[in-house]
Amino acid sequence: MTKYLKITLSILMISVIIVSCKKDSPVDEDGLLITFRQECFVSNFELLGSDFVTVRAATAVIDTLAQTINVTVNPGTDLKNVYPQFTLATDCKLDPKVIGKTDLSNLASPKIYTVVSGNRKIRKPYTLNIKF
Amino acid sequence: MRNKNIKFPALILIMLTSLLACTKQEYTIPDPVSQLTNDCIKRTIGPSIVSLPLEFAYAMALPKINGKLVSAEVEASIAGASGTFLEHRSFYTNSSGVDVPVTIGTPSTTVDKLTKVTFNVDTNASTLRYNYVIPEEARGKSVSFTFTATSSDGKTATYKMGPYAISKMAIKKNLAVSNGVNAFISIEDMAVYNATAAATNAGKVDLVYLYRATPTTFTHALVSPGADAAYLPGVTLPSGVNRSTKLRKVFNLQDRNLSNLQYGIYVDDIDFTQLDMVDMPNYALGLRAEAGVWVETTDKKYRAYIFVNSINAAGTAVISILRYTL
Repeated sequence: MTKYLKITLSILMISVIIVSCKKDSPVDEDGLLITFRQECFVSNFELLGSDFVTVRAATAVIDTLAQTINVTVNPGTDLKNVYPQFTLATDCKLDPKVIGKTDLSNLASPKIYTVVSGNRKIRKPYTLNIKF
Repeated sequence: MRNKNIKFPALILIMLTSLLACTKQEYTIPDPVSQLTNDCIKRTIGPSIVSLPLEFAYAMALPKINGKLVSAEVEASIAGASGTFLEHRSFYTNSSGVDVPVTIGTPSTTVDKLTKVTFNVDTNASTLRYNYVIPEEARGKSVSFTFTATSSDGKTATYKMGPYAISKMAIKKNLAVSNGVNAFISIEDMAVYNATAAATNAGKVDLVYLYRATPTTFTHALVSPGADAAYLPGVTLPSGVNRSTKLRKVFNLQDRNLSNLQYGIYVDDIDFTQLDMVDMPNYALGLRAEAGVWVETTDKKYRAYIFVNSINAAGTAVISILRYTL
C-alpha cells in the first residue's frame, strides 16, 4: 500500500516539476506578449485637445502604403497640448509611446511614430502630418 | 499513542472554536433615553466657500416626564456673515417626501458668534437647521461649532461639530458677458467690464469674451488681450489692456456651485494647486455651454475656473468664476 502511495506521489511531483519548468510565453521589454502576428499598420487616428474633445476638422487620412497620417485640425487648435490616439493592428505597439499631452506644434518637422508588429520583427514608421 | 493524545484535544478545540464562531449575536434594544440628549449632522457637502452657507441639522429631545425644550443655541468659532440663522421651525418629512415646518419659537437672534432660538411651544423633541454663512474673515482658516440645547429641568446637552477647513477660493456666479459690450473680464475683481470701465481698470483685465459665427469652430471664445491678433478679430482693445493670461479648456467639469446646484462635482483648492498650466495657450475658442476654462493670470497671482453656464447665438453668455489666490 505504502509502495503505491510513494509511486503516485513521485509521479505527481515529477508532473509538477515538468509543468513549472515549462518555458513562459515570450514577452518584450514592456512586458507585452510577443505573438506570431505580422500585421503592422495604423487603422484609426484621433487627436484630442486639452478638454479631451476632438480637434480634427475632418477624418484623418491614413495611407498604409505611404505610411502617413494626414490630419486637418480646427483653426486655433493649440497643438502644444494635444493627445494623439492611435488604433493599431492586433498585437502591435507604438514607438514612441504616447504617455500624455504631446507637443505637435512643429509643423515643419512632422513627428514620426513607428508601429511595431505583434512578432516584434516588423517596424513601420508613420509620419503624422498636421495642417490647419 | 502520543499522537492520539494530541489529536483528540486538538479536534475538540477546533470544534469548540467553530461552535463559538457561529454563535448568533442577538440584537438588544438600546436603553430608552432618560435625559436630554442631542445629535447633529452636517448637511452641506463639498468645499466650504466664503459667502456660501454651511447647513447643519441639530436634533434634541428629552423624555416627556423630564419637561420640555426651552432653548437651542449655536456658537461658531468665527462669527457668521449676514444671513446666519438657526431655524425657529422644526421640520419633519411627510409621506410625500416633503419637508413640513412646525414653528417652535420666535426667529433666532444672532449676537456676534452666538445664534439662539427660544422655544415658545410645549415640545420635548425638535430638529432645527442651522445656516451658517461663511464670512470673509474665515477664508483659509477653520471653523467649528458648539450646539447646545437647554430643557426646562435645567439640564443642557452639547454637541461639537468641526473643525471645518474654509477654502481659499472665492466665488462669483452668473456674470453676463456680451460680444463687444460687456466683454472684458477681470479675475482679480471677478467682474465684467465694458470698454470704458476696462480702460479704467486696464491692469486688471485678463480676458476678452468674443463671439464670431465664422469660422464655426470659433463661436464663443475667451481670449487674453495679449494673444495673437488672429484670435481677436475686429477687437479694439482699450488703452493699456494687454495682459497675457494662460487658459486651458475643460469639458465635463460642471462644478456644483457654479452650475447652480445641478451636478455633483466640486472644484476644490487642491485642483488649483495641482493644476498644470505650463505651455498653455492664451486663448480658448469654441466654448460651449457647460464647458469650462482653467485660468492663470499673467502675474501668477490668481488661478481661476470659469464655467460657461449658458451661451446664446446672439453673442452673449453667462459665466461663473471660482478664483484661487496663489
